[in-house]
Amino acid sequence: MQAGSFIVGYEWDFSVVFRDFDLLLLGLVNTLKVTGLALLFGIPLGLLLALLRLYGNAVLRIPASFLIEFLRTTPPIAQLFWFFFAMPILLGVEIDPFEASVLTFSLQSSAFFAEVFRGGILSIDNGQWEAAKAIGMNRNDTLRRVILPQAVKRMIPAFLERAIELMKTTTLVSTISYADLLYQANTIAQSTYRSLEVFTVAAAMYFVVIFICSLAVQRLEHHLGRTGELTKG
Amino acid sequence: MEHVWDFSAVFSNWYLLLIGLKNTIVLAVVCLVLGLFFGLFVGAARYSGNRLFNWPATAFVEIFRNTPVLVQIMWFFFAFPIISPFDINAFTAAALGLTLNTVAFSSEIYRAGIQSIHKGQWEAAKALGMNYSQQMGRIILPQAVRRMIPAFMNRAVELVKMTSLASVIAYGELMHQAKTISTIEFNPIEMYTSVALIFFILIFPFTLLVQRFEIRSKAKG
Amino acid sequence: MTEVLKIENLHKSFGDLNVLNGIDLSVAKGDTIVILGASGSGKSTLLRCVNFMEIPSSGRIVLQGKPVGTEKADGINYPEKELTGLRARVGMVFQHFNLFPHMNVKQNVMEGPRTVLKCNQAECARRAEEYLDKVGLGWKAEAFPSQLSGGQQQRVAIARALAMEPEIMLFDEATSALDPELVGEVLETMKELADEGMTMLIVTHELGFAYTVADRVLFLADGKILEQGDPEKVLIHPQQEGTKNFLRGHGSFRLPEPVLD
Repeated sequence: MQAGSFIVGYEWDFSVVFRDFDLLLLGLVNTLKVTGLALLFGIPLGLLLALLRLYGNAVLRIPASFLIEFLRTTPPIAQLFWFFFAMPILLGVEIDPFEASVLTFSLQSSAFFAEVFRGGILSIDNGQWEAAKAIGMNRNDTLRRVILPQAVKRMIPAFLERAIELMKTTTLVSTISYADLLYQANTIAQSTYRSLEVFTVAAAMYFVVIFICSLAVQRLEHHLGRTGELTKG
Repeated sequence: MEHVWDFSAVFSNWYLLLIGLKNTIVLAVVCLVLGLFFGLFVGAARYSGNRLFNWPATAFVEIFRNTPVLVQIMWFFFAFPIISPFDINAFTAAALGLTLNTVAFSSEIYRAGIQSIHKGQWEAAKALGMNYSQQMGRIILPQAVRRMIPAFMNRAVELVKMTSLASVIAYGELMHQAKTISTIEFNPIEMYTSVALIFFILIFPFTLLVQRFEIRSKAKG
Repeated sequence: MTEVLKIENLHKSFGDLNVLNGIDLSVAKGDTIVILGASGSGKSTLLRCVNFMEIPSSGRIVLQGKPVGTEKADGINYPEKELTGLRARVGMVFQHFNLFPHMNVKQNVMEGPRTVLKCNQAECARRAEEYLDKVGLGWKAEAFPSQLSGGQQQRVAIARALAMEPEIMLFDEATSALDPELVGEVLETMKELADEGMTMLIVTHELGFAYTVADRVLFLADGKILEQGDPEKVLIHPQQEGTKNFLRGHGSFRLPEPVLD
């Protein structure tokens, strides 16, 4: 890595990147796989944690709150290393990078989703609870039939933003050798000595995917805002 | 199998952890200060009607907001040195990535904060005969900054968490020190549990503070 | 009578929407002019063109005999600096008060003299005191806007505008956002100003106030002055169908009690 080559001029060569482009695409698929699975487990778990934190008795509420806060305030990489390096020894189980990644990011995202759910539920006007109570609905029915359907609509943009954050965070799986996009890029860069081109292309691929998702979220927010289903609280 | 917890190797390496903690804080503070400072200019450029400022600023913000921060750090460490006019070590690469990331996010906070101020405030200031910089400096910014504080604090929390990514390029912050110690002492359980707790203790009081602040500023309206 | 403000053939459009279609108006010193009209008739826009919160599409505004802006081949050019100076001479009171929430009442009133007129501390304080007393809120000087009722906030906003010692005051639906029981105190303050000879342009829906306080009433429809004259003529004996319909829609209006004697 000699300094000063900027002045001399650097000859870009993207051919190596495109020769191994299928490896990068495979990496992208793996990135999406981890993200998708983490969402699949993280959202229901988040709802559960939110309900425990909101309506659980002290025995349930306090551990749920602590888990949420702990997962939200520790760096994801520390969590990933704990689940990959520490937990298997502790429990005497074997875990591969893929499983550790899905486990970590399901839990990690569930904490954030729990807060989204909680915020959404709390944002519903108290009058809705009272109206449901007045026609004789119990708490579970009210939550399921009246509150959540309204809350979920408001939460959609926050969910999607969180999903995008999650996709960005999954780059960490490369540090435990799971073959996501970043890991593939790193491998190709090392074998071809073309780090500049490889990392730039990988960054561009992330950008394209994430930017499209962000645009979609913005459009949806705009749409929901216009139809009045999203009231900023 | 039953694991016997043994934290002695964690404590005997307290000095290495302390160095890591110091490096974590140095990296976070440097990136936060530079990020907030330059973020104001990028935010102003994005707010400006002039395309010469607006477009490059928007492109910059979108690129840094829509790529993973780890990719940014890796890019600055492995790719950027090839074309860089100056030497890049782990600290500069991490600081570059995290600072520019903070610039991008904080510029949006500035922008959103200014936009959140009701149009009537601009009008009242204008009706008194204030020029643009007086309207901005005396009326809009003082109100907007108060609203931005919780968002900036949240950003600071995120930033401290993100500094742990510098371990990937072997900058000796807390996470990297933990990784090193756990390899030498064969105590990943105790070491990674401890480092998670250290981060929690470091950050959690701050998040409580943010929450309090948010509640207070909401009550104020 | 010296003419404070003259408006000549004023047009204003937003995109395809023509809001003002040729307004002519002459305002003498001490005049109190009330502008009526249905929503969308352009009355607020007219007011906002006077202090250039909106830039007129065409036509001319003449303040104290001096036309605003510089005539160019393709219309009038309005340098921002000139407009800033003009706004300092024209007071405006808004529907939603727009007090500065991060400043207390006194600071709100001092802000204009201090930042725009560059008055010294003593002069700023004197003005704040004088005009807060005038609107009856000297005792609230240290309070913050959020601690005041709507009526009090609006009176502070009036004091804030007065502290600039303006040549003319504009009131843009100053009582429309207030609870009914708070409207009286603000109208009372406005009436006192009118009695003291302040030149005022008032957009309002308070017909009783218009009847007792206005020297002249304008009725606007579709961006034009449909009818104008003294209150008796426009409010009691309107000639135009549009004015009659508008007044019918507002039912019979009551005169404020204290004004009768």
